[in-house]
Amino acid sequence: MIKKTFSILCFVIFLLILSVAAPAKVYMDILSPAFQKFPIALPDFSPLDGREGENPLFREIPGLLSNALELTGFFRTVDRNAYLESPETPEEDVRFADWRVIGAEFLVKGKLEAPGETLTIECRLYDVVEGKMLAGKRYTGKKGDEKAMVYRFADEILSALTGSRGVFDTEIAFSGKKNRLSDIYTIQFDGSNLRKRTDHKAITLLPRWSADGSKIAYTAYPRGNPDLYVLNLATGKTTRLFHDRGLNLTGGWSPDGGRMLIVSRRDGNEEIYVHELETGTSRRLTRDPAIDVSPCWSPDGKRIAFVSNRSGSPQIFVMDGDGGAVRRLTFNGSYNTSPSWSPTGSRIAYEGRAGGQFQIFTIDENGGNTIQLTYEDEGAESPAWSPDGRFIAFQGKRNGTSRISVINANGLNPRVLYEGKDLEAVSPAWSPHLNLY
Amino acid sequence: MKNHNVFRGALLLVLSLAVALVIGCGKKAVVQEEMGVVVKEPAKEEAAAETRPSEAAIEEELLKEKERQEKERVLREAASFGDIYFEFDQYDLTATARETLKQHADWLLANPGFDLLVEGHCDERGTAEYNLALGDRRANAARDYLVSLGVDAGWITTISYGEELPLDPSHNEAAWAKNRRDHFVVTPSR
Repeated sequence: MIKKTFSILCFVIFLLILSVAAPAKVYMDILSPAFQKFPIALPDFSPLDGREGENPLFREIPGLLSNALELTGFFRTVDRNAYLESPETPEEDVRFADWRVIGAEFLVKGKLEAPGETLTIECRLYDVVEGKMLAGKRYTGKKGDEKAMVYRFADEILSALTGSRGVFDTEIAFSGKKNRLSDIYTIQFDGSNLRKRTDHKAITLLPRWSADGSKIAYTAYPRGNPDLYVLNLATGKTTRLFHDRGLNLTGGWSPDGGRMLIVSRRDGNEEIYVHELETGTSRRLTRDPAIDVSPCWSPDGKRIAFVSNRSGSPQIFVMDGDGGAVRRLTFNGSYNTSPSWSPTGSRIAYEGRAGGQFQIFTIDENGGNTIQLTYEDEGAESPAWSPDGRFIAFQGKRNGTSRISVINANGLNPRVLYEGKDLEAVSPAWSPHLNLY
Repeated sequence: MKNHNVFRGALLLVLSLAVALVIGCGKKAVVQEEMGVVVKEPAKEEAAAETRPSEAAIEEELLKEKERQEKERVLREAASFGDIYFEFDQYDLTATARETLKQHADWLLANPGFDLLVEGHCDERGTAEYNLALGDRRANAARDYLVSLGVDAGWITTISYGEELPLDPSHNEAAWAKNRRDHFVVTPSR
């Protein structure tokens, strides 16, 4: 424990030295535990054609942008009451010192016009410390497209400051339980557009997205046995893929989309199989009398993390894609399950026990550097990484009410994505980019 | 032989006359009365005939009632198959569980013609997937033990509900202990 605290302290000191020593142009690692949110100023937009005229969008659009950026947990909007400069100040006359003095490091200035049914907005992102423009875009569309335009420019901002776009165009699928039945639901990253996707009138569980986001595999009981189904999201059509007597559980779809990991007891006990979707053939990967479940792929599709109780209690293991080179990953505690491999990094999130509750942890793929990510009063379970590797969704509770939350991968900025009043929400699964905007 | 024919001919004649009389005088009250007398005889016979099958039906019903009561008793006993319970993250059968299963096995062997569904359940703690596997193990542990006691494996099916169908939805030790169970459903064989 002391050793761990010390190593974290060393790490923090190292980061501090790094941030002091680094030249101003290098942006901080947004996933480091010492990350400070980017202070950004988002003043009202002004008319694009230069004429005066009130439009509620002048304020609404920077408001939407502020919400979008704050959803990511990487930004803090500087209090608009502190702004010294008039929104009408042309971009060539921006006084960066006036923004620096109120604590802003970044600034978005925008213009818009909305004649008839059309809407055009123009946005510019400035680094006020360096005094230069980092990104500029003009979007033209219909009235009502403002949310899409804002998410697109938020992606520009994220790309400019962090090197990759956001996940505004993703959805989180989960199993929603009600009256002893359940269904697969989806909800967008911003908490909008909750949709019920299945209707088996039976227990329906464990959603897993296909690599292209067009399908969701899940396990359901409409025929009195936990069978494996695939839902085509475009057509709404479901196909029953496996119905071996006993369990047919979903594992992960491979990153290349061609293979699916499944759990079946067709050979007498729970084993992991890889199913080739093209040929329809399955190959057995585990051969152990213990429970083997919850397989998921590494981002390169070459290794698989899974849960086994072969050493007496459920623990996370890693094996090669062909079932070889099995090694145990977790050794702390007697119950570590639900692995999810970061799509961009080398860390694996899982749920383990801490202080009588389940919490989310992450660990290096070679077994080192375990970090407890959540400290939820009523526990956290079933982690799922976002496709950019910067967020983790999990299931939890507040006052007994179930909810799905999202936390930054560094453990900061938890927010509630969905709170189930009459629906118990469990087993979140994060979609790939769906290009919704 | 000849006499017979003569008698038959006479009978035919009488009957023909009677029929002619009935048809010819159908609308006369007197004849109607006579007809009533003629009709009365077979009517009596019908009534008698009705009585016999009806008595048989009552006897049959009594038998059915007895059968039904017996079946009800069997089904009542079948429905009262007690659950067995497990420790957290365990699927080993406890001594109590083995005793209960012994009673179930005895009953199944004494009352052939029934199928048994063993449902494995878990408490809400831990991952849904792992709990589905755990429930599967719990159901199969009971199945294997019943088979070892002589119950035909073909009578038994297993299903895991994991943590999906808790008996007690509360979030405490007492509820969890009740929910870590095998539940038994006995149905007449199809």
